[in-house]
Amino acid sequence: MDKLKYEKPTISKINAGMPSKFGLPVKQKVISEIDGIKVSSLMEQYGSPLFVISEKTIREVHAEAKRAFETRYPKVQFAWSYKTNYLDAVCSIYHDEGSWAEVVSGFEFEKALSNGVNGSQILFNGPDKSEADLIMAIENNACIHIDHFDELYLLIETSRKLQKKARVAIRVNLDAGIYPIWDRFGFNYENGDAWNAINRIMLAESLEMIGLHTHIGTYIMAQSAYAIAASKLANLYMAIHRKFDYWLKYIDLGGGFASKNTLKGAYMPGSETCPSFDEYAEAISNALISSEIPHENLPVLFLETGRALIDDAGYLLTTVIANKRLNDGRRSMVIDAGVNLLFTSFWYNLGVYPTRELGHAEESTIYGPLCMNIDVVRDAIVFPQVKTGEQLVIERVGAYNITQSMQFITYRPNVVLIDMEGKTHIIRKKESLETFKNSELNPKRN
Amino acid sequence: MKITDEVRISDNGFVFNSKTGDSFNVNPTGLELTKLIAQGHDFDTIKSLFLEKYELDDLTFEKDFYEFCALIKYHQITTTEDPLDFK
Repeated sequence: MDKLKYEKPTISKINAGMPSKFGLPVKQKVISEIDGIKVSSLMEQYGSPLFVISEKTIREVHAEAKRAFETRYPKVQFAWSYKTNYLDAVCSIYHDEGSWAEVVSGFEFEKALSNGVNGSQILFNGPDKSEADLIMAIENNACIHIDHFDELYLLIETSRKLQKKARVAIRVNLDAGIYPIWDRFGFNYENGDAWNAINRIMLAESLEMIGLHTHIGTYIMAQSAYAIAASKLANLYMAIHRKFDYWLKYIDLGGGFASKNTLKGAYMPGSETCPSFDEYAEAISNALISSEIPHENLPVLFLETGRALIDDAGYLLTTVIANKRLNDGRRSMVIDAGVNLLFTSFWYNLGVYPTRELGHAEESTIYGPLCMNIDVVRDAIVFPQVKTGEQLVIERVGAYNITQSMQFITYRPNVVLIDMEGKTHIIRKKESLETFKNSELNPKRN
Repeated sequence: MKITDEVRISDNGFVFNSKTGDSFNVNPTGLELTKLIAQGHDFDTIKSLFLEKYELDDLTFEKDFYEFCALIKYHQITTTEDPLDFK
Protein backbone atom coordinates (compact mmCIF):
# COMPACT_ATOMS: atom_id res chain seq x y z
CA MET A 1 0.00 0.00 0.00
CA ASP A 2 1.29 3.48 -0.87
CA LYS A 3 2.19 5.64 2.04
CA LEU A 4 0.20 8.79 2.73
CA LYS A 5 1.58 12.28 2.21
CA TYR A 6 2.87 13.63 5.51
CA GLU A 7 1.89 16.99 6.92
CA LYS A 8 3.69 18.47 9.88
CA PRO A 9 1.48 18.25 13.01
CA THR A 10 0.23 21.68 14.07
CA ILE A 11 -1.91 23.13 16.81
CA SER A 12 -3.34 26.62 16.82
CA LYS A 13 -5.11 28.37 19.61
CA ILE A 14 -8.56 29.71 18.82
CA ASN A 15 -8.85 33.35 19.86
CA ALA A 16 -12.55 34.05 20.15
CA GLY A 17 -13.58 37.69 20.11
CA MET A 18 -10.35 38.86 18.45
CA PRO A 19 -11.26 39.38 14.81
CA SER A 20 -8.42 40.06 12.42
CA LYS A 21 -8.32 43.73 11.48
CA PHE A 22 -8.03 42.65 7.85
CA GLY A 23 -10.99 40.25 7.98
CA LEU A 24 -10.54 36.77 6.60
CA PRO A 25 -6.98 35.55 6.12
CA VAL A 26 -5.67 36.29 2.65
CA LYS A 27 -4.05 33.80 0.37
CA GLN A 28 -0.33 33.53 1.02
CA LYS A 29 1.62 35.38 -1.65
CA VAL A 30 4.28 33.33 -3.37
CA ILE A 31 7.24 34.65 -5.38
CA SER A 32 8.68 31.75 -7.34
CA GLU A 33 10.33 33.72 -10.12
CA ILE A 34 11.67 37.16 -10.90
CA ASP A 35 11.30 38.44 -14.46
CA GLY A 36 10.61 34.91 -15.62
CA ILE A 37 13.68 33.38 -13.96
CA LYS A 38 13.11 30.80 -11.25
CA VAL A 39 14.33 31.85 -7.82
CA SER A 40 15.75 28.36 -7.31
CA SER A 41 17.93 28.58 -10.42
CA LEU A 42 19.19 32.05 -9.44
CA MET A 43 20.23 30.73 -6.03
CA GLU A 44 21.75 27.61 -7.50
CA GLN A 45 23.87 29.70 -9.83
CA TYR A 46 24.80 32.62 -7.57
CA GLY A 47 24.43 31.33 -4.02
CA SER A 48 22.42 32.41 -1.02
CA PRO A 49 21.76 35.05 0.15
CA LEU A 50 21.56 36.94 -3.11
CA PHE A 51 20.49 40.44 -4.08
CA VAL A 52 18.63 40.55 -7.39
CA ILE A 53 17.85 43.75 -9.30
CA SER A 54 15.29 43.81 -12.09
CA GLU A 55 16.18 46.18 -14.94
CA LYS A 56 12.66 45.76 -16.30
CA THR A 57 11.12 47.04 -13.07
CA ILE A 58 13.59 49.94 -12.89
CA ARG A 59 12.66 51.08 -16.37
CA GLU A 60 8.93 50.54 -15.89
CA VAL A 61 8.77 52.48 -12.62
CA HIS A 62 10.94 55.25 -14.03
CA ALA A 63 8.66 55.52 -17.06
CA GLU A 64 5.63 55.71 -14.78
CA ALA A 65 7.16 58.54 -12.72
CA LYS A 66 8.28 60.40 -15.83
CA ARG A 67 4.86 60.13 -17.42
CA ALA A 68 3.17 61.36 -14.23
CA PHE A 69 5.26 64.55 -14.17
CA GLU A 70 5.78 65.25 -17.85
CA THR A 71 2.05 65.14 -18.57
CA ARG A 72 1.48 67.81 -15.91
CA TYR A 73 4.49 70.12 -16.13
CA PRO A 74 6.39 71.34 -19.21
CA LYS A 75 10.00 71.01 -18.07
CA VAL A 76 10.95 68.06 -15.86
CA GLN A 77 14.36 66.56 -15.20
CA PHE A 78 15.04 63.57 -12.94
CA ALA A 79 18.42 63.22 -11.24
CA TRP A 80 19.29 59.77 -9.93
CA SER A 81 19.95 59.81 -6.20
CA TYR A 82 23.28 57.99 -6.00
CA LYS A 83 23.13 57.24 -2.30
CA THR A 84 19.95 55.20 -2.78
CA ASN A 85 21.80 52.67 -4.91
CA TYR A 86 25.10 53.56 -6.52
CA LEU A 87 26.04 50.33 -8.16
CA ASP A 88 27.42 51.35 -11.55
CA ALA A 89 25.08 49.00 -13.42
CA VAL A 90 22.06 50.54 -11.70
CA CYS A 91 23.16 54.15 -12.20
CA SER A 92 23.83 53.46 -15.89
CA ILE A 93 20.23 52.36 -16.38
CA TYR A 94 18.93 55.62 -14.89
CA HIS A 95 21.36 57.68 -16.98
CA ASP A 96 20.25 55.73 -20.02
CA GLU A 97 16.69 56.75 -19.14
CA GLY A 98 17.83 60.38 -19.21
CA SER A 99 18.44 60.98 -15.51
CA TRP A 100 21.15 63.32 -14.33
CA ALA A 101 23.13 62.43 -11.19
CA GLU A 102 22.41 63.68 -7.68
CA VAL A 103 25.41 63.12 -5.44
CA VAL A 104 26.21 63.96 -1.82
CA SER A 105 29.96 63.39 -1.53
CA GLY A 106 33.21 63.60 -3.43
CA PHE A 107 33.14 59.80 -3.75
CA GLU A 108 29.70 59.83 -5.37
CA PHE A 109 30.77 62.74 -7.59
CA GLU A 110 33.74 60.71 -8.84
CA LYS A 111 31.45 57.72 -9.37
CA ALA A 112 29.05 59.80 -11.48
CA LEU A 113 31.94 61.11 -13.60
CA SER A 114 33.24 57.56 -14.05
CA ASN A 115 29.75 56.53 -15.19
CA GLY A 116 30.10 59.05 -18.01
CA VAL A 117 27.82 61.74 -16.59
CA ASN A 118 28.70 65.19 -17.86
CA GLY A 119 29.81 67.34 -14.90
CA SER A 120 27.21 69.99 -15.74
CA GLN A 121 24.52 67.34 -15.20
CA ILE A 122 25.58 66.54 -11.63
CA LEU A 123 23.66 68.07 -8.73
CA PHE A 124 26.01 68.22 -5.77
CA ASN A 125 24.12 68.10 -2.46
CA GLY A 126 25.19 67.27 1.07
CA PRO A 127 26.64 69.02 4.11
CA ASP A 128 30.18 67.72 3.62
CA LYS A 129 31.96 69.23 0.64
CA SER A 130 35.69 69.65 1.13
CA GLU A 131 37.72 72.23 -0.73
CA ALA A 132 38.96 69.45 -3.03
CA ASP A 133 35.35 68.39 -3.68
CA LEU A 134 34.39 71.98 -4.50
CA ILE A 135 37.33 72.35 -6.87
CA MET A 136 36.24 69.16 -8.66
CA ALA A 137 32.66 70.44 -8.84
CA ILE A 138 33.62 73.91 -10.12
CA GLU A 139 36.00 72.52 -12.72
CA ASN A 140 33.31 70.15 -13.95
CA ASN A 141 30.66 72.88 -14.06
CA ALA A 142 28.39 71.00 -11.65
CA CYS A 143 25.34 72.49 -9.91
CA ILE A 144 26.52 72.96 -6.33
CA HIS A 145 23.70 73.05 -3.77
CA ILE A 146 25.05 75.07 -0.88
CA ASP A 147 24.14 73.73 2.56
CA HIS A 148 25.45 76.34 5.01
CA PHE A 149 27.21 79.72 5.22
CA ASP A 150 30.65 78.20 5.89
CA GLU A 151 30.32 76.29 2.64
CA LEU A 152 29.13 79.44 0.87
CA TYR A 153 32.23 81.38 1.94
CA LEU A 154 34.56 78.46 1.18
CA LEU A 155 32.99 78.30 -2.26
CA ILE A 156 33.48 82.05 -2.85
CA GLU A 157 37.11 81.68 -1.80
CA THR A 158 37.69 78.57 -3.93
CA SER A 159 36.04 79.93 -7.05
CA ARG A 160 38.07 83.18 -6.73
CA LYS A 161 41.27 81.13 -6.51
CA LEU A 162 40.29 79.10 -9.56
CA GLN A 163 39.12 82.24 -11.36
CA LYS A 164 36.12 80.26 -12.54
CA LYS A 165 32.48 80.91 -11.80
CA ALA A 166 30.73 78.28 -9.70
CA ARG A 167 27.15 77.40 -10.67
CA VAL A 168 25.17 77.25 -7.44
CA ALA A 169 21.78 76.79 -5.88
CA ILE A 170 20.90 76.92 -2.22
CA ARG A 171 19.25 74.25 -0.23
CA VAL A 172 16.21 75.67 1.54
CA ASN A 173 14.61 74.10 4.57
CA LEU A 174 11.03 75.03 5.27
CA ASP A 175 7.87 74.21 7.15
CA ALA A 176 5.81 72.13 4.74
CA GLY A 177 3.21 71.29 7.35
CA ILE A 178 4.67 67.93 8.28
CA TYR A 179 6.53 66.66 11.30
CA PRO A 180 9.46 66.51 11.80
CA ILE A 181 10.67 69.60 9.96
CA TRP A 182 14.02 68.76 8.44
CA ASP A 183 15.93 71.86 9.43
CA ARG A 184 19.46 70.55 9.70
CA PHE A 185 20.18 70.94 5.99
CA GLY A 186 20.28 74.21 4.11
CA PHE A 187 18.99 77.68 4.94
CA ASN A 188 15.66 78.33 6.58
CA TYR A 189 12.88 79.91 4.56
CA GLU A 190 10.70 81.23 7.35
CA ASN A 191 13.36 83.03 9.42
CA GLY A 192 14.94 84.76 6.42
CA ASP A 193 18.22 82.79 6.32
CA ALA A 194 17.52 81.58 2.80
CA TRP A 195 16.85 85.13 1.56
CA ASN A 196 20.09 86.36 3.21
CA ALA A 197 22.06 83.56 1.54
CA ILE A 198 20.49 84.38 -1.83
CA ASN A 199 21.42 88.04 -1.49
CA ARG A 200 25.00 87.15 -0.58
CA ILE A 201 25.28 84.81 -3.56
CA MET A 202 23.76 87.29 -6.01
CA LEU A 203 26.40 89.83 -4.96
CA ALA A 204 29.30 87.39 -5.27
CA GLU A 205 31.00 87.84 -8.60
CA SER A 206 32.45 84.35 -8.65
CA LEU A 207 29.09 82.61 -8.13
CA GLU A 208 26.27 82.13 -10.60
CA MET A 209 22.98 81.41 -8.90
CA ILE A 210 20.97 79.03 -11.06
CA GLY A 211 18.45 77.28 -8.84
CA LEU A 212 16.64 76.62 -5.60
CA HIS A 213 16.56 73.28 -3.88
CA THR A 214 14.68 71.72 -1.00
CA HIS A 215 14.37 68.25 0.40
CA ILE A 216 11.56 68.19 2.90
CA GLY A 217 12.15 64.70 4.29
CA THR A 218 11.94 61.05 3.47
CA TYR A 219 9.02 58.66 2.98
CA ILE A 220 6.63 61.62 2.85
CA MET A 221 3.10 60.26 2.77
CA ALA A 222 1.35 63.61 2.26
CA GLN A 223 1.62 65.01 -1.24
CA SER A 224 0.24 68.29 0.11
CA ALA A 225 3.61 68.89 1.80
CA TYR A 226 5.23 69.08 -1.63
CA ALA A 227 2.65 71.60 -2.75
CA ILE A 228 3.55 73.84 0.20
CA ALA A 229 7.27 73.43 -0.48
CA ALA A 230 6.82 74.20 -4.19
CA SER A 231 4.79 77.34 -3.39
CA LYS A 232 7.43 78.62 -1.00
CA LEU A 233 10.23 78.04 -3.51
CA ALA A 234 8.10 79.74 -6.17
CA ASN A 235 7.83 82.77 -3.85
CA LEU A 236 11.62 82.91 -3.52
CA TYR A 237 11.98 82.45 -7.27
CA MET A 238 9.75 85.45 -7.90
CA ALA A 239 11.41 87.51 -5.14
CA ILE A 240 14.78 86.99 -6.84
CA HIS A 241 13.33 88.12 -10.15
CA ARG A 242 11.78 91.22 -8.62
CA LYS A 243 14.92 92.31 -6.82
CA PHE A 244 17.61 91.30 -9.32
CA ASP A 245 15.64 91.13 -12.59
CA TYR A 246 16.98 87.64 -13.02
CA TRP A 247 15.32 84.31 -13.74
CA LEU A 248 16.74 81.21 -12.11
CA LYS A 249 16.94 78.07 -14.22
CA TYR A 250 15.41 75.48 -11.92
CA ILE A 251 13.51 74.53 -8.80
CA ASP A 252 14.58 71.21 -7.27
CA LEU A 253 12.10 69.52 -4.96
CA GLY A 254 14.50 66.80 -3.87
CA GLY A 255 13.32 63.31 -3.14
CA GLY A 256 11.35 61.73 -0.35
CA PHE A 257 8.49 60.09 -2.23
CA ALA A 258 7.34 57.03 -0.28
CA SER A 259 7.87 53.57 -1.71
CA LYS A 260 5.26 50.84 -1.31
CA ASN A 261 7.00 49.33 1.69
CA THR A 262 5.07 49.33 4.96
CA LEU A 263 6.45 51.31 7.88
CA LYS A 264 6.63 49.55 11.23
CA GLY A 265 3.54 50.40 13.24
CA ALA A 266 1.51 51.33 10.16
CA TYR A 267 -2.09 50.16 10.29
CA MET A 268 -2.44 49.51 6.57
CA PRO A 269 0.11 48.26 4.05
CA GLY A 270 2.18 50.90 2.29
CA SER A 271 0.97 49.72 -1.10
CA GLU A 272 -2.53 50.89 -0.05
CA THR A 273 -1.65 54.11 1.69
CA CYS A 274 1.27 55.77 -0.10
CA PRO A 275 0.54 58.41 -2.72
CA SER A 276 1.14 57.45 -6.34
CA PHE A 277 3.49 59.36 -8.64
CA ASP A 278 0.38 60.91 -10.17
CA GLU A 279 -0.69 62.30 -6.82
CA TYR A 280 2.75 63.77 -6.06
CA ALA A 281 2.98 65.17 -9.59
CA GLU A 282 -0.48 66.72 -9.39
CA ALA A 283 0.33 68.49 -6.12
CA ILE A 284 3.73 69.82 -7.23
CA SER A 285 2.73 70.84 -10.76
CA ASN A 286 -0.43 72.59 -9.60
CA ALA A 287 1.51 74.55 -6.99
CA LEU A 288 4.10 75.75 -9.51
CA ILE A 289 1.72 76.45 -12.36
CA SER A 290 -0.74 78.32 -10.16
CA SER A 291 2.04 80.38 -8.54
CA GLU A 292 2.93 83.93 -9.61
CA ILE A 293 5.57 82.65 -12.04
CA PRO A 294 4.66 83.60 -15.63
CA HIS A 295 4.19 80.53 -17.77
CA GLU A 296 7.00 81.47 -20.17
CA ASN A 297 9.44 81.70 -17.24
CA LEU A 298 8.53 78.50 -15.44
CA PRO A 299 11.68 76.89 -14.08
CA VAL A 300 12.81 73.37 -14.89
CA LEU A 301 11.48 71.06 -12.19
CA PHE A 302 14.23 68.82 -10.86
CA LEU A 303 13.37 65.67 -8.93
CA GLU A 304 15.86 63.56 -7.01
CA THR A 305 13.57 60.63 -6.38
CA GLY A 306 15.43 57.52 -5.25
CA ARG A 307 13.52 55.23 -2.92
CA ALA A 308 10.22 55.27 -4.82
CA LEU A 309 12.00 54.56 -8.10
CA ILE A 310 14.08 51.56 -7.12
CA ASP A 311 12.65 49.88 -4.03
CA ASP A 312 10.38 47.61 -6.08
CA ALA A 313 13.23 46.53 -8.37
CA GLY A 314 15.30 44.92 -5.60
CA TYR A 315 14.87 41.45 -4.09
CA LEU A 316 16.90 39.56 -1.53
CA LEU A 317 16.80 35.80 -1.91
CA THR A 318 17.50 33.89 1.26
CA THR A 319 17.45 30.38 2.69
CA VAL A 320 16.01 29.02 5.93
CA ILE A 321 18.75 27.81 8.25
CA ALA A 322 16.67 26.65 11.20
CA ASN A 323 13.28 26.60 12.88
CA LYS A 324 12.99 27.21 16.59
CA ARG A 325 10.35 27.50 19.27
CA LEU A 326 10.88 30.37 21.68
CA ASN A 327 10.30 29.89 25.38
CA ASP A 328 6.70 31.09 25.16
CA GLY A 329 5.86 28.70 22.34
CA ARG A 330 6.16 31.32 19.61
CA ARG A 331 7.58 30.09 16.37
CA SER A 332 10.77 31.55 15.01
CA MET A 333 13.15 30.78 12.22
CA VAL A 334 16.67 31.71 11.25
CA ILE A 335 17.50 32.76 7.69
CA ASP A 336 20.88 33.37 6.10
CA ALA A 337 20.34 37.13 5.48
CA GLY A 338 20.59 39.47 8.44
CA VAL A 339 19.99 43.10 9.27
CA ASN A 340 23.52 43.93 8.13
CA LEU A 341 22.18 43.43 4.59
CA LEU A 342 18.74 44.84 5.31
CA PHE A 343 19.18 48.25 6.82
CA THR A 344 15.60 49.13 5.94
CA SER A 345 14.31 46.30 8.14
CA PHE A 346 14.79 48.68 11.07
CA TRP A 347 11.88 50.83 9.88
CA TYR A 348 9.91 48.66 7.46
CA ASN A 349 7.94 45.48 7.90
CA LEU A 350 9.61 43.98 4.87
CA GLY A 351 7.60 41.53 2.79
CA VAL A 352 9.03 38.02 3.17
CA TYR A 353 7.48 35.36 0.94
CA PRO A 354 7.94 31.67 0.20
CA THR A 355 8.77 30.48 -3.29
CA ARG A 356 6.02 27.85 -3.34
CA GLU A 357 2.64 27.19 -1.72
CA LEU A 358 3.14 25.95 1.81
CA GLY A 359 0.79 24.74 4.48
CA HIS A 360 -0.23 25.94 7.91
CA ALA A 361 0.81 29.49 8.76
CA GLU A 362 1.32 30.91 12.22
CA GLU A 363 2.78 34.00 13.77
CA SER A 364 6.54 33.83 13.54
CA THR A 365 9.68 35.84 14.14
CA ILE A 366 12.34 35.79 11.45
CA TYR A 367 15.91 36.14 12.68
CA GLY A 368 19.01 36.71 10.61
CA PRO A 369 22.19 34.65 10.94
CA LEU A 370 24.21 37.14 12.98
CA CYS A 371 25.20 36.26 16.52
CA MET A 372 23.50 39.45 17.70
CA ASN A 373 20.21 39.83 19.51
CA ILE A 374 19.17 42.76 17.32
CA ASP A 375 19.26 40.65 14.17
CA VAL A 376 15.50 40.49 13.68
CA VAL A 377 14.37 40.72 10.06
CA ARG A 378 10.64 40.45 10.83
CA ASP A 379 8.71 40.00 14.03
CA ALA A 380 5.08 38.96 14.24
CA ILE A 381 4.72 37.86 10.64
CA VAL A 382 2.18 35.19 9.82
CA PHE A 383 4.30 32.70 7.97
CA PRO A 384 3.84 29.10 6.82
CA GLN A 385 5.80 26.17 8.21
CA VAL A 386 9.07 25.78 6.34
CA LYS A 387 11.83 23.22 6.43
CA THR A 388 15.51 24.06 6.58
CA GLY A 389 16.80 24.83 3.11
CA GLU A 390 13.49 26.39 2.04
CA GLN A 391 14.08 29.37 -0.24
CA LEU A 392 12.42 32.69 0.55
CA VAL A 393 12.21 36.05 -1.18
CA ILE A 394 12.30 39.43 0.53
CA GLU A 395 10.84 42.07 -1.76
CA ARG A 396 11.21 45.84 -2.11
CA VAL A 397 14.80 46.05 -0.96
CA GLY A 398 16.22 48.02 -3.90
CA ALA A 399 16.66 51.29 -2.01
CA TYR A 400 19.42 51.84 0.55
CA ASN A 401 19.98 48.21 1.48
CA ILE A 402 22.90 47.66 -0.87
CA THR A 403 24.54 51.04 -0.26
CA GLN A 404 24.04 50.84 3.49
CA SER A 405 24.76 47.13 3.86
CA MET A 406 27.51 46.49 6.32
CA GLN A 407 30.23 43.89 6.17
CA PHE A 408 29.77 42.17 9.49
CA ILE A 409 30.43 38.61 10.61
CA THR A 410 29.80 37.17 7.15
CA TYR A 411 30.70 38.15 3.60
CA ARG A 412 28.30 40.34 1.68
CA PRO A 413 26.63 38.42 -1.14
CA ASN A 414 26.58 38.68 -4.91
CA VAL A 415 24.33 41.29 -6.48
CA VAL A 416 22.81 40.13 -9.75
CA LEU A 417 21.01 42.16 -12.41
CA ILE A 418 18.37 40.62 -14.64
CA ASP A 419 18.55 42.60 -17.88
CA MET A 420 15.77 43.39 -20.34
CA GLU A 421 16.46 40.18 -22.26
CA GLY A 422 16.14 38.11 -19.11
CA LYS A 423 19.87 37.44 -18.88
CA THR A 424 21.59 37.56 -15.51
CA HIS A 425 24.81 39.41 -14.73
CA ILE A 426 26.78 39.73 -11.50
CA ILE A 427 27.02 43.48 -10.90
CA ARG A 428 28.85 43.24 -7.58
CA LYS A 429 30.84 40.21 -6.58
CA LYS A 430 30.43 38.39 -3.31
CA GLU A 431 33.11 39.32 -0.81
CA SER A 432 35.86 36.87 0.05
CA LEU A 433 38.81 36.79 2.39
CA GLU A 434 40.83 38.35 -0.42
CA THR A 435 38.53 41.41 -0.36
CA PHE A 436 39.75 42.14 3.13
CA LYS A 437 43.33 41.06 2.70
CA ASN A 438 43.64 43.56 -0.14
CA SER A 439 42.89 46.50 2.12
CA GLU A 440 44.27 45.31 5.48
CA LEU A 441 47.84 45.72 6.67
CA ASN A 442 49.37 43.79 9.54
CA PRO A 443 52.57 45.43 10.82
CA LYS A 444 53.38 42.33 12.90
CA ARG A 445 53.59 40.16 9.84
CA ASN A 446 55.22 42.46 7.27
CA MET B 1 3.78 12.69 29.43
CA LYS B 2 0.00 12.39 29.57
CA ILE B 3 -2.94 14.39 28.37
CA THR B 4 -4.44 16.46 31.20
CA ASP B 5 -7.73 15.11 32.57
CA GLU B 6 -9.53 18.35 31.77
CA VAL B 7 -8.74 18.17 28.05
CA ARG B 8 -11.30 16.89 25.58
CA ILE B 9 -10.44 16.05 21.98
CA SER B 10 -13.08 15.79 19.27
CA ASP B 11 -12.71 13.63 16.18
CA ASN B 12 -12.62 16.64 13.87
CA GLY B 13 -9.56 18.24 15.49
CA PHE B 14 -11.13 20.50 18.07
CA VAL B 15 -9.35 20.46 21.44
CA PHE B 16 -10.84 22.05 24.55
CA ASN B 17 -9.07 22.53 27.86
CA SER B 18 -11.67 23.14 30.57
CA LYS B 19 -8.95 23.95 33.09
CA THR B 20 -7.71 27.00 31.20
CA GLY B 21 -10.78 27.67 29.06
CA ASP B 22 -8.64 27.59 25.93
CA SER B 23 -9.64 25.85 22.75
CA PHE B 24 -7.48 24.78 19.83
CA ASN B 25 -7.53 23.41 16.32
CA VAL B 26 -5.18 20.60 15.42
CA ASN B 27 -4.55 19.39 11.89
CA PRO B 28 -5.11 15.69 11.02
CA THR B 29 -1.56 14.59 11.89
CA GLY B 30 -1.68 16.70 15.03
CA LEU B 31 -4.95 15.02 15.98
CA GLU B 32 -3.48 11.60 15.36
CA LEU B 33 -0.46 12.40 17.51
CA THR B 34 -2.59 13.81 20.31
CA LYS B 35 -4.77 10.72 20.33
CA LEU B 36 -1.79 8.37 20.35
CA ILE B 37 -0.29 10.30 23.25
CA ALA B 38 -3.66 10.18 25.04
CA GLN B 39 -3.71 6.42 24.57
CA GLY B 40 -0.41 6.27 26.42
CA HIS B 41 1.84 5.20 23.55
CA ASP B 42 5.50 6.03 23.90
CA PHE B 43 7.67 7.85 21.36
CA ASP B 44 9.09 4.72 19.71
CA THR B 45 5.64 3.20 19.15
CA ILE B 46 4.25 6.44 17.72
CA LYS B 47 7.29 6.84 15.50
CA SER B 48 7.00 3.37 14.00
CA LEU B 49 3.26 3.89 13.42
CA PHE B 50 3.93 7.16 11.61
CA LEU B 51 6.86 5.87 9.55
CA GLU B 52 4.73 2.94 8.45
CA LYS B 53 1.80 5.12 7.46
CA TYR B 54 3.40 8.29 5.99
CA GLU B 55 6.08 9.26 3.50
CA LEU B 56 8.42 10.39 6.24
CA ASP B 57 11.96 9.94 7.53
CA ASP B 58 12.74 9.29 11.17
CA LEU B 59 14.65 12.55 11.80
CA THR B 60 11.86 14.75 10.42
CA PHE B 61 9.37 12.90 12.57
CA GLU B 62 11.54 13.24 15.64
CA LYS B 63 11.95 17.01 15.13
CA ASP B 64 8.25 17.54 14.50
CA PHE B 65 7.17 15.26 17.35
CA TYR B 66 9.21 17.05 19.97
CA GLU B 67 8.19 20.46 18.64
CA PHE B 68 4.53 19.42 18.83
CA CYS B 69 5.01 18.03 22.34
CA ALA B 70 6.63 21.30 23.45
CA LEU B 71 3.68 23.24 22.07
CA ILE B 72 0.97 21.12 23.70
CA LYS B 73 2.90 21.25 26.93
CA TYR B 74 3.08 25.03 26.66
CA HIS B 75 -0.69 25.11 26.12
CA GLN B 76 -1.12 22.92 29.26
CA ILE B 77 -2.67 20.09 27.27
CA THR B 78 -0.16 17.62 28.65
CA THR B 79 1.51 17.15 31.98
CA THR B 80 4.69 15.33 32.80
CA GLU B 81 4.07 13.28 35.90
CA ASP B 82 7.70 12.72 36.62
CA PRO B 83 9.70 15.84 35.76
CA LEU B 84 12.72 13.65 35.09
CA ASP B 85 10.79 11.36 32.77
CA PHE B 86 12.29 12.22 29.40
CA LYS B 87 11.35 9.21 27.36
